[in-house]
Formats: sequence, C-alpha cells, structure tokens
Amino acid sequence: MGLARYTIRRLIQAVPVIVGIITITFFLTDAIPGDPVSIMLGPSPSAAQAEAIRAKYGLDQPLFIRYFNYLGDVSPIWLDTTARFPFVEPRFGVDLGRSIYYQVPVVQKIAERLPVTLLLLVSSFTFALLAAVPLGVISAKRRNKPVDHVSRVVALIGVSTPSFWIGLILIIVFAFHLDVLPATDLIMPYADPAEVEGAETWVDVLVISGEHLLLPTLSLGTLQMAAITRIERSAMLENLGQDYVKLARAYGVKERTILRKHAFRPAQLPVITIVGLNMTQALGGAVLTETVFSINGMGRLIITAIYNQDYPLVMGTTIFFGLMFVIGVIITDISYAYVDPRVSYGDQEA
Amino acid sequence: MGSTDTSDSGITDRPVSDEPVGEDSSRGGVAREDVAARVGWRYTLSQIKQDPTALAGLAIIAFFGGIAIVAAIDFYFLDYWLANTFWVNPENDPNTIETLLPPVGFSNEFGVGTWDHPLGTDHRGRDMLVRLFYGTRVAMTVGFMATVIGLIGGTVTGAVSGYYGGWIDDVLMRAVETLYAIPFLVLVIAFMTAFGRDLTFAMVGVGIASIPTFARLIRSRVVSVREEDYVEAARAAGVRDSGIILRHVIPNSFAPVLVQATLQIGVAILIVAGLSFLGFGAQPPTPSWGQMLSQSRNYMLPNPWFSVWPGLAILVTVVGFNLFGDGLRDALDPRINN
Repeated sequence: MGLARYTIRRLIQAVPVIVGIITITFFLTDAIPGDPVSIMLGPSPSAAQAEAIRAKYGLDQPLFIRYFNYLGDVSPIWLDTTARFPFVEPRFGVDLGRSIYYQVPVVQKIAERLPVTLLLLVSSFTFALLAAVPLGVISAKRRNKPVDHVSRVVALIGVSTPSFWIGLILIIVFAFHLDVLPATDLIMPYADPAEVEGAETWVDVLVISGEHLLLPTLSLGTLQMAAITRIERSAMLENLGQDYVKLARAYGVKERTILRKHAFRPAQLPVITIVGLNMTQALGGAVLTETVFSINGMGRLIITAIYNQDYPLVMGTTIFFGLMFVIGVIITDISYAYVDPRVSYGDQEA
Repeated sequence: MGSTDTSDSGITDRPVSDEPVGEDSSRGGVAREDVAARVGWRYTLSQIKQDPTALAGLAIIAFFGGIAIVAAIDFYFLDYWLANTFWVNPENDPNTIETLLPPVGFSNEFGVGTWDHPLGTDHRGRDMLVRLFYGTRVAMTVGFMATVIGLIGGTVTGAVSGYYGGWIDDVLMRAVETLYAIPFLVLVIAFMTAFGRDLTFAMVGVGIASIPTFARLIRSRVVSVREEDYVEAARAAGVRDSGIILRHVIPNSFAPVLVQATLQIGVAILIVAGLSFLGFGAQPPTPSWGQMLSQSRNYMLPNPWFSVWPGLAILVTVVGFNLFGDGLRDALDPRINN
C-alpha cells in the first residue's frame, strides 16, 4: 500500500475519533454548572440583553439541536438543509464558531496562543531528545558501569518528579536566589524589538527570548528526557543482545559500526513512538508549566475556557488537540518506515 | 465464579478448568505445583527478593502506605483524635501563631526554625511535617483507587475488544482512542468542572482517563492469547465466551498489566498532585501535597522549604512505585534476565 493511500486511510479512520472528541467535550461542557451568558455579562444582565446573546450563539435551542448544529458547523462538508426545498446544497469549510467570553472567532484565539505553546513544546522535546539519546546509548554501552548507574538514577528521578515542582524549584534557584533568569512570561523570538523591553535589535530579542524559554523548557522537558532515556537504554540493550549483533561481532565488525548500524537504528522505533504519543500528553502538561511561569499559551486558554464555560472555545481547542494527536500518530507511523525498512504500510502486525 | 458458565452447557469443563476439581486430581496437582515453581507467584517473589532496587521500592511503598493507612483511619473514623492527642491538628492548630517558620537550622524574616516544627511551618503557622503526613492519605488513596478504576475499566474494554474482534473491536478501540486523543489533564479538569471538584471526582476522573492505557495493553495480549490451544479447547468444550474471557484470557494476560498498574499508581499520584496544584482535588484545609505546593507559590521567597518538602514527598513516593514496577517487570519478563 502506498504512502498516500495509507495516509488517506488513517485520516478517514480519524473521523470517528474526532466526532467522539466533539461528543465527549460537548456533553461534558454542557454538564458544567453555571451559565456562560451570565459569566460574560456579569451578575445581573437585563433579560433582553441575555436573550439576544443566547440567540446569537444558538444557546436558546435544545441540547441535541445544538449538538448537531455544531457537528454541522465543524464538518468540512455539510449539506445545507436550510436551502429552499427541494434544493439541498453542499457547503464547504470548517467553522469553529466564536468564543463567547472573548467575543472573537475561536480560530483567531487559537492562532494567537498556539505559537507560544508550540515554541515551548518544540524546545522541550529538542532538549529532551538531545539529552536523552546520547545518555541512553552510553548507558546501554557501559551497562552496570558508574555512567549507567548515574544515568539510570537521573532518569528514574526525572520520571518521578512533578514537572511543575521542577518549575518552582528552578524559579527559587535561578530567578530568586541567583537572579540570573526571568521567571515569568515568554517572548517570541520573532517579536518586534520595539515592543520587547530592553531590546534594541533582533539579536537582543533572540537572547531575551532564549532566557525566558530556558526554565520552562527544563521544567516541561525533564519528564520527557527521562522517559526517552529509559526507553532508549532498554531498546539498545535488547538490540545488542540480538543474534545478528553477535554474528557481526564474530565477523570482526568494529564495535562503533555495530553500535551505530545494528543497535542504534532499530532502537529508535520505540523512541519515535513515545515522542509521538507524548506530544499530545505534553500539551496537558503544558497547562501546569504555563501556570507556574505565567505563560499565556494553549494550556491556560483551555483551562480558562472551561472555567468560563465558553463552549465554542473549549470545543475548538479540544478538537484542535485531537487533530494534533491524529497527525502525530500518522507522522509516527510514517517515520517507522524510514527507520525500519521491514515496516510496510499495509502490514498490520508490524 | 465460572460454574454457571459450564453447568448448563452439558459438557464437563474439567479438561479446561484451572481449579483442582477433587480428590482424583492429585496427580494434576503435583504437576501444577511443579509448573508453579517456575512461573507462578512464588517464582516472581523469589526474583523480587533478589532484586535490591525492587525491595527498596517496596520499602518506600510500604512506608508511605503505612502512613496513609494511619492518616486515613484518623481522618475518616477518629476525626483527627490521634493527631490532636499525640501531635498537632493538621488542619487547624490553635496553639500556633500565623508565621512562616523555616526548618530546624535555618532562619528567615519570621524567626528561627525550632524542633517544635522540624520541617518548618506553612503560611498559617501549621506544622509542615504533620501536614505532609496527612497529605499522604490523599496521594495514596487517589493514586490507588484511580488505578483500580482504570484497571477494571481498561481490562473489560480491552478483553472484550480483543476477544471478539470485528466491529466490536473497532467501536471500542475508536472510543479508547478518543479518550486518549484528549490530553489527560484537560480531560480530567473538564470532567471535574462538570461534576465536582473534590477528591472522589479526582479518583473517577483520573481512573477514566487511564482506561486507554490498560485497554490497549490488555487488548494486544488478548489478541495473541485468543489463538492459544487451551482457549480453542475451552471453546470446543462449549464454555461460554464470558467464561473464557474471565477464566483463561484475562488471567493469562495479566502479568504486563500488573506491571503497568504499579507504574500507573505513580503516574496517577503525579497527576493528582498537578490537579491539586490547579485547585482541583482535596479542598483546603484538608492537606494534600499538590495543594501545599500551590499555596507555597506565594511564599517561595521567605521560605523556599515550603515548596521543597511536598515536592520531595511526591518524588520519593513515585520513585518507590517506579522502582517496584521495574523490578516486577524484570521478574515477570524472562527476556530481560540475562
């Protein structure tokens, strides 16, 4: 099966998952006690005002009608049944609706917050991979030597520590006591120098951005780093014990070559899996990191949306997370085939 | 438990039964013990006894588990009688003034640490150690209960899905994938905002959110166990599907699930701490580690120890579960023992 066909099949399989996400979040947000309109308008809005808002956001309609309306709005292809009989016109395009609380389109709000969280995620995973892959390899290569013990202890502590606590400790040490790094906010590396305090050129912006990014990256990335180290080590060990490695050794193949070609390459399969799956979960972890460092990203966006009962925004962001997950899974599967030629797209057992 | 499954089938289930049937099965009993010596619980236990790290993990779990049991008894049944009599009340200590004292050997703007409060006090002058002690209850119960809920839900889903295959498998696995696609923390927060912020909902929420982990794991095991000869034999003998799943498929898929469950308790403790940090879970004044960390955010400058202790408690507890889980995996998976 070709790559294109495989991707299309995976995307079609993703449709029920997305519908499921919409269903779960829709009824979960509906179950939240309270009234989004009163949150928006304050404690005592006039009845007419509240009615107008309700009608505007379709909140005056029964639950199930709202549910199907929403499904219709977010579905890329939808038959418009409001067209005059007997015409039923297909309509194209996705509409995530408008945030009730912020009064702006949901897409706009996501576009505003997403870069911050993406920057945080990418830098955390870059840090995690750069530290974990060598650590895992060295650990496996020098099994039961002091280096291995140290790296195993580091990895064990890393997977056992709450990420937000690491953030708190980093703030205490580096922001309070040493006073060398900022503890709050995140500045995008492409920000306008005029709007960044203490920056004159784009180089300054880059440096300041990096300084702001360092502590949150360590806070969010440590768990990933530790998890990847553990998996890298055990996968390397498993491969080094394989018969083909023994054979290669018997043939006098250099240890470096064995390590690189026969052990390292196949060991990346589980690493890719964990990175692919953890990306979505790290979005959840970002909620905590963003809270600790007062960063306005996707995590805090969705939490405040849940607090404010901002249906469209909660739905929109969760659907977005779901899409990211599906895309992550597809990318994971595709990278399998790059690392391991035995994997083919039609093969179920692989 | 499975007697009703076979009694009405008209065919004796003796060849496929796991339980000793009667006096005449003594020969089979000997054979079973022989096998048990190599693959059963006793073997696993003997492996763990030889593994110092697994034992260390077990010791940590036993230590915090013991504290949690004492704390839970005192909290639920004695209304802090133990704490009031032999120690200080963790929620509201009438004898202290509201200062933020450091641990013994340190000093800050509020005073010098004394042996009255070996680990210092929190922002309301409550003893740190006693609050940590009673916070153990929250972490351990929620971690354990959430995992049990996830384990039961995931085992049923995964076993049914893997055993029947076909459209049942498709539907269940899509549902599980859906749960998995929403970030864990976001799902639980939405759930708790909708139904309630207290501890019970934290357990149920984290439990539901951890169903996918177990469902996927047990399904993959079931798919391979399903093809085994003894399952085929049971089916030929007319044992019902529910009987086969309960008595053959699940028990034979359980080793990796047990390992995962041990590790998952640690994960659940971390998540519950994160939830409490955001204000979901045990509500003040009930002490919980995550909530203490959350309160410490405003007092990190005068007394950083306020943040250090609860985090350390979480760290050590989760290390315990991870050590023991790893040890259990090594003992149950002979491939690694070389």
